[in-house]
Parts: sequence; structure tokens; C-alpha cells
Amino acid sequence: MEVLLYSLRKLLAGIPLVLGVTLISFLLIVYFGPDKTYELVGKNPTAEQIAEVRSQLGYDRPFVTRYMEYLREIVTLDFGSSESTDEKVSSILARTIPVSLLLALPGFILGNALGVLLALVAAYFRGGLVDKLIMGSAAVGMSVSYLIAIIGFQILLSSADGLDLFPVRGWDTSTPLAYIQHVTVPTLATVFVALGYNTRFYRAVIVEEMTRDHVRTARAFGIPPAKIFYRNILKNSMVPIVTRVVFSIPLIVISGSLLLESYFGIPGIGKVSYDAIITGDQPVLKAVVALTAILFVVAQLLTDICYRLVDPRVSLGASTR
Amino acid sequence: MPAPLLEVNNLVVEFSTDAGVVRAVDDVSFSVAAGETVGLVGESGCGKTVTGLALLGLVPTPPGRLASGSIRLDGQELAGLDDSSWRSVRGRKVAMIFQEPMTALNPVFRIGNQMIDVLRQHQRITRRQARAAAIEMLAKVGIPAPDKRIQEYPHQLSGGMRQRVMIAMALSCSPRLLVADEPTTALDVTTQAQVLEQMVRLQQEFGMSMILITHDMGVVAQSCSKAMVMYSGRVVEQAPVTELFARPRHPYTGGLLASIPRIREQRIPELPVIEGTVPDPLNLPEGCRFADRCNKVRDYCRLAQPELKPIGRADSKVACYVPD
Repeated sequence: MEVLLYSLRKLLAGIPLVLGVTLISFLLIVYFGPDKTYELVGKNPTAEQIAEVRSQLGYDRPFVTRYMEYLREIVTLDFGSSESTDEKVSSILARTIPVSLLLALPGFILGNALGVLLALVAAYFRGGLVDKLIMGSAAVGMSVSYLIAIIGFQILLSSADGLDLFPVRGWDTSTPLAYIQHVTVPTLATVFVALGYNTRFYRAVIVEEMTRDHVRTARAFGIPPAKIFYRNILKNSMVPIVTRVVFSIPLIVISGSLLLESYFGIPGIGKVSYDAIITGDQPVLKAVVALTAILFVVAQLLTDICYRLVDPRVSLGASTR
Repeated sequence: MPAPLLEVNNLVVEFSTDAGVVRAVDDVSFSVAAGETVGLVGESGCGKTVTGLALLGLVPTPPGRLASGSIRLDGQELAGLDDSSWRSVRGRKVAMIFQEPMTALNPVFRIGNQMIDVLRQHQRITRRQARAAAIEMLAKVGIPAPDKRIQEYPHQLSGGMRQRVMIAMALSCSPRLLVADEPTTALDVTTQAQVLEQMVRLQQEFGMSMILITHDMGVVAQSCSKAMVMYSGRVVEQAPVTELFARPRHPYTGGLLASIPRIREQRIPELPVIEGTVPDPLNLPEGCRFADRCNKVRDYCRLAQPELKPIGRADSKVACYVPD
């Protein structure tokens, strides 16, 4: 009940945020953004022809009218049809978001889980050889560009010069085996790049928790290290860890990984957004922008609820001023 | 005379820093008899907390290390124990209470769970028995409605209550020795007196020995039988409390006592202070470390360090060439 009331209040408080974000992004990428007029008018158009096309596309209507229309679309979640393919925007999203999720999730989960694990090991041996080795590798991972990592893994695993185990590009989720074959190389590249950042971040969090007074207290009472690690250190590190994890979710849901999707020719949401920007496909753009804003509000709500689960000091009651 | 409970001999604790090795505790020896309360006094950075931590093997290593010396507790040598042996000493034979009750407890677990953890770590009892024991201990340290309080998280308790919880936790396994590091410094004045009184009462009830680390001479006068004054990592004076207050032998002790405000005595225009600062631990003088601040300094004071030597009839020792 407490959680439900809190969620409602938080969602209501999120409305101004969504309005603000949509207003700015509407202004920048819709109102002043890419425009399909010149693509449609043909060669050597007259001023009348241009005006006609603009009015067909609705570009000539006043700003307020267009923004209000956008808000109506957000509320009804009906963004019309793509101007490039005539496919319903809702069906485009329904088709591409699952693809992006399937593509990004394994790398996201592995990258964070391994990051926490390596960070724990590095923090435990901090200052020692193991720590230096892990942190050194993290720095290497961070310094290698995503594209280089992708190409590297492709050459190693997908080419005739390497092991030739996986398809070079494309996407197929018809069978679990096909899915694993297609997702492995992108996942490896993602983990390779994300792991360095994650490990560094989590190590800093964990080391800070290790120096807390209550850790010393537990040691002074003879509590064994494994228990201290779990109950005093890991449990208290959960707030920053949860924040980082939950706040990455909107990004993988809605923006996908443009680089992965375009490089491997995977029909995900990242590719669709990119194409919409390039061609000025405004219905799709508007949908992507609105969904991103809404997902961030939801993610914020989710983190707050998770805080309540991991930290008894956080209260969701009415006293949150 | 029976063998003392705790005997510390020539304890040296060193810390490696980027600028060189710092001796935080330099050749400290003392003993604590069973049931006795010893005050360890000195200003910030004099090595009193590190001495306390060394008694539980809690000197952060690295950068610190117990360089030499022996710590004998109840016949057992503690210096050089491995980690798992230390764990059976900590909490069961020696317990420690820290200065900051606000941060010394784990914020994400109920105080009951934390107490039960400690109890079950050292005794073969069920959760239910441990819980009953924890409630009993909380009642002993003067926490009202302990069966409800045990359900609470540390942030729901006041500073004084948290320190009482720490005391309850420390006493729960009936340790032989309690090291209390500035246990009342972070509390407000009225609570300080209550908590201190409670500690002394419980210490007598449990027949424990206690080392009370403090910079407050008033606390020493109120609760200790013997006191040690530390300065720059060394013990400069050691005496029964009555003797120490009646006749401080070391000029530093004299200075400390003179700088305590007194209410009933005649008005003085200004509280006396000890001029100067503690020497840089990386750059210690050859001779007496207090020489630069001492009003009785002689030329020979600067040549070599004075040893801690017996003085007078009582069981007193002082490290000074020109004691009072």
C-alpha cells in the first residue's frame, strides 16, 4: 500500500518532467528538426509546390497546435504511421524493441554481474597484485574503442582467419541455438567495453564501504570476513549499484545500441531511430523521444522503490519533502 | 601478587607512509590487573587509539603493522596470531567500543540481528537463545523496552542509545577485557555521565578489566584506578589516579591537569595552555619529545630519550629527567 501510494505520487510528480523533456526535444528534433519536404517535392520545385507539401505534412501549422497534437499522441500512445514506410509506429516499436532487448540484455547482465564480481575481488585484494591486474585490464578495456572491439571479436570468432564459429552479421531468433549464435559476438564486444567502466565504478563503491566504521566494529567482534563482506560491505553498496543498473535500463530499451545494430545489420530500435533522424521521419522520432522520457520517470520510481528494499533508512512515506 | 590479566611489553606499531615510516606507538609497556580500570590519556594523535586497536589486532595492515613487542592476555600471546585465531579472541576475550556510535553499527540490519550475530559467533546457542540473551543485555545497559528496541535499525536510536547498544554487544560474550575508545566523547554532556556510570557499574558487575581511552582527565578521575599518559607515541607517566592528580610528575601531565577548568577555585584570567605543538612523527627529536614545549627543559633533555622509570613510593613511573 505504501509502495503503491508512493508510486502514484511519484508518477504524478513525473508529469512535469515528461512535459519539459518533450517540449525541449519537440522543439529541437521535431519543430526545427529534420524535414521531409525536399525529399517529396522532386526536382526544381516552385514555391507553391513546396508550400503544398509542407501543408500536406502539417509543417505549416502553428507551434502550439503541433505540440498539443504531440501531447495528445503521447497520452493515447498513438503516433500514427511512419512517413517512410507507412507502417504503424506502434507496430514498428513492437517489432524492434524486443530485438534490441534480446540483443542488449545478455551483455548488460553479464557486464554488470562480472563488473561487481571483479570489483569485489579487486577491492578485497586492494593495493595488491590481483587488484593492479584487474584495474589495469579495466583501463585497457576502457581505452579500446567499441568499434575496434566489435571488429576484433568478429575477426577472432566469425572469420575464416579466426575460429569461424559464428555468423558475421544478421539476426535470427527462431531457435535458441540460432539466437545464441547471433548474440554471442555482439555480447562479447559489449561486455569487453562495458566491463572496464563497471569494474572501476563498483570497485570505488565497494572500497568506500570497506572503510566504514561498522566494518571495523564487525571485525572487532570476531565476525568472519565472508560474512562481513556480504552483510556489511555488499549490502551497503547496493544503493549506488542499484542506481547505476536501473538507470541504464531506459537506454537499452529505447535507444538500443546503434553501433551494434547497424554494424551487425540487426533490425532493432537503435537502427530505426537513426534512420528516422536521417530521413526526418517525424512520427517515429516523436514516439522514441516520448518513450525515453517516460521510461526515465519510471526508472527513477523503480530506483526509489529498490532503495527502500535495500536500505531501511529510506522511507517512502508522506514525509519525503 | 597474581599475574596481571593483560601484559603489554615493548609494543611498537609502525605505519608506512609515502614520506617514510611513522612509529605511532613506540616501545609501550603496561599491565592491567583483573577487574582493574586503566585510563589511557593523551591528545589526538598521541597513539592511544592505535594502542587500543593493537590489543585486538585491528591495526589496519597495510599500511600499519605491529613491528615488535608482546601482548599477553590471560597467558595467551596475541602478537603474531593469524586471522582466524584473532577472530576467536575478538569479541570473546577482548571487546572494543568505538568513539562514533552513529557510524559504528551496520545501518542496514536491525540491532537485534547484529547482536545475535556476535553472540552466535562465539557461543554455541540457537537464534532464539541468542535473542533472549541480547534482550537481557539491552535491559542491563539501561535501554527501556528492549524487546521492542531490538527490532529497530540503528538510525532509529539516539546517539546515547546506540552507544548503549554497542556496550551491550561488547559485554554480551563476557569478555575479560574491554577496550573503550573515547566511548562518551561523541555524546552530549548529560548522556556522557549516564553512559560512563553505566559502564563502570557493569564493569564491576562483570568483573572485567577495562582500558578507557580518553583525552578527558575528568573521565579518568571519575572511573579509573590507574592512568597512563601518552605523548607522541610513548608513555610519559603511569601512576595510580589519586597519585597522578595529587602529584603529577611529568611536566606534560602537569600541563594537562592545569588546563582543566575548575569551577570552585578562584577566578583566573585565562586557562593555562601548553605552548607549542607535538613534534612531527616523521622528524622526531633525538631527546625528549616534550622538550620543545617544556618549561623545565635542561640541555641534557635534548640528548637522549628519557626512559620510563619508577618514582616515589606508590606504583608510579615517569619518563623525565627532571620530574616533580
